[in-house]
Amino acid sequence: MAKKLRSLDHHTQVRLIPSYVLVVTWVIFTFVLIGWVFFASFSTSQEIFSDSMFKFESGFHFENYIRAWNTQKVSVYFMNSLMYTVVSCTSIILIASPAAYVLSRFKFRGNLSIQSLLASALGIPAIMIVMPLFSLVSRLRLTNNRWLLIFLYIAMNVPFTTFFLLAFFKSLSTTYEEAAYIDGCSPMGTFWRIMFPLVQPGIITVTVFNFITIWNEYFMSMIFANKPKVRPVSVGLFNMIQAMRYTGDWGGMFASVVIVFLPTFLLYIFLSERIIQGVTAGAIKG
Amino acid sequence: MIIIFLTPAMICYLLVFLYPSIRTTIMSFFAVESVSDPISTWSFNGLENYRTLFNTAIFRQSMRNIANIWLVGGIGVMVTALFFAVSLTNGMKFSKFFRSVIYLPNVVSAIAMGTMWINYVYNSSYGLLHDIFATLGMTTLSETLWTGPDKLFWSMLVAYSFGMVGYHMLIFMASIEQIPKDYMEAAQIEGANVFQRFFHITLPFLRGCFRTNIVMWTVFTVAFFVWGQLFSPVNLSNATVAPMNYMYEIVFGSSASTTTVRDSGAGAAVGVIMMIIVIIAFSATNLIVKNDDVEL
Repeated sequence: MAKKLRSLDHHTQVRLIPSYVLVVTWVIFTFVLIGWVFFASFSTSQEIFSDSMFKFESGFHFENYIRAWNTQKVSVYFMNSLMYTVVSCTSIILIASPAAYVLSRFKFRGNLSIQSLLASALGIPAIMIVMPLFSLVSRLRLTNNRWLLIFLYIAMNVPFTTFFLLAFFKSLSTTYEEAAYIDGCSPMGTFWRIMFPLVQPGIITVTVFNFITIWNEYFMSMIFANKPKVRPVSVGLFNMIQAMRYTGDWGGMFASVVIVFLPTFLLYIFLSERIIQGVTAGAIKG
Repeated sequence: MIIIFLTPAMICYLLVFLYPSIRTTIMSFFAVESVSDPISTWSFNGLENYRTLFNTAIFRQSMRNIANIWLVGGIGVMVTALFFAVSLTNGMKFSKFFRSVIYLPNVVSAIAMGTMWINYVYNSSYGLLHDIFATLGMTTLSETLWTGPDKLFWSMLVAYSFGMVGYHMLIFMASIEQIPKDYMEAAQIEGANVFQRFFHITLPFLRGCFRTNIVMWTVFTVAFFVWGQLFSPVNLSNATVAPMNYMYEIVFGSSASTTTVRDSGAGAAVGVIMMIIVIIAFSATNLIVKNDDVEL
């Protein structure tokens, strides 16, 4: 029996050869693409243009990174983005999880319509909301304000997060609340002390997801943050790339690219299973 | 408690989604020059903004571009994504690793991905395509200027689609994994081959999932912006312009091109047209799936 199974498995593997070829080519291509930028970030501009790039005849040029970090203001953008993402991701959870809990647990008029409104936010393109927001913001003189950017990041991701966490709260048994009620715990206390900790897996998944979204957000940031001081990495990187093309500092340019994608890249290496869960859980219901 | 818990989330929604959408829709029927003009200076314009848009050559071109992205790119991405999804759920070794790598471009900033494509893959003197074709001895292909004006759109589309495959593949995979194993086993025992199993079991099960993928692909296409900007950073070009780039130009007008005048009313109309496209995609795909009783 075991032998037969193995031969069946062997048979499948043989039939999968064309699939293997294509998948592996695709994977190698992805590695080459990212690997090349990584190597280029340690080379000088002349080496990048010649064929001898991978020999590193003049050694590894870590100074590309130092130059990018200090003179090209990557440090400023990086710190901005770090602050924006951390503050927004935390606030999103604090706003979205109570809402998701209420929507999943209580029956009241309008519950279902609120749920579908939140879901519809996923389909509203940024182009539809950016103009009124901009006019509001410029009348309040809040352009280039860090807190405004953070507010936008929060508000734009709350609907998705609420929607995502709803399913997690729904799957919890009501016996927890009943027990807490009998022991004299207030409904608020029950939520924060018992229910909130129970959905931790969902919260971690959706936060990783939000982190990546906010870190890479470009359009809104470009419109609401045009001063270098408040720019996040995505907008900063775009401007740097345009500038470095003219200054010819290719090593520094690729070093900046690496610095910008490294945080999400590392996060992905450690948490790829969670991120993938997040995509599929969010999509099946959507 | 319901009110306290729900209010912050609802405020976010009303302030950032509902109010702006309504105001943009109203604005699209008025003549408005600058976005920050107060409502008192707006003058009713009927459908004039929409008429102006469709009489503008570059806007028509931008619609043609996203139509191409949606259809050609969409078919390419969906076929590749489905192929990978079916392969990876079919008992392939290291499938988790492959899956993670294929999804990887989605977590990297589009700006970083675009830079890699433009400065490495498409570079005509040391780029990847240059090297591959040069090694194969195909000199004409190796000397092709991939980001030249005639190839710019297709180069951009390939680079963009490459990153999108992973996302749609994950959605396909999630649905394929929900197909009951017995169906496949029964078919296998009865002697159905890979293709028969794919067309008679997998595909019918995936209808709901196609709907999700098509709606999401439409949402992404409508929001096409960064790649257009990366591939023509200075001015709008016919090859890479998308409606959102055009809207950015006429509302926030930053680039050096003098051909465009500020017209926020028309910008709002672009937004409304994009919204309508999403709604059409959503309802059309809904209709297709409603006729079907397979519920996943």
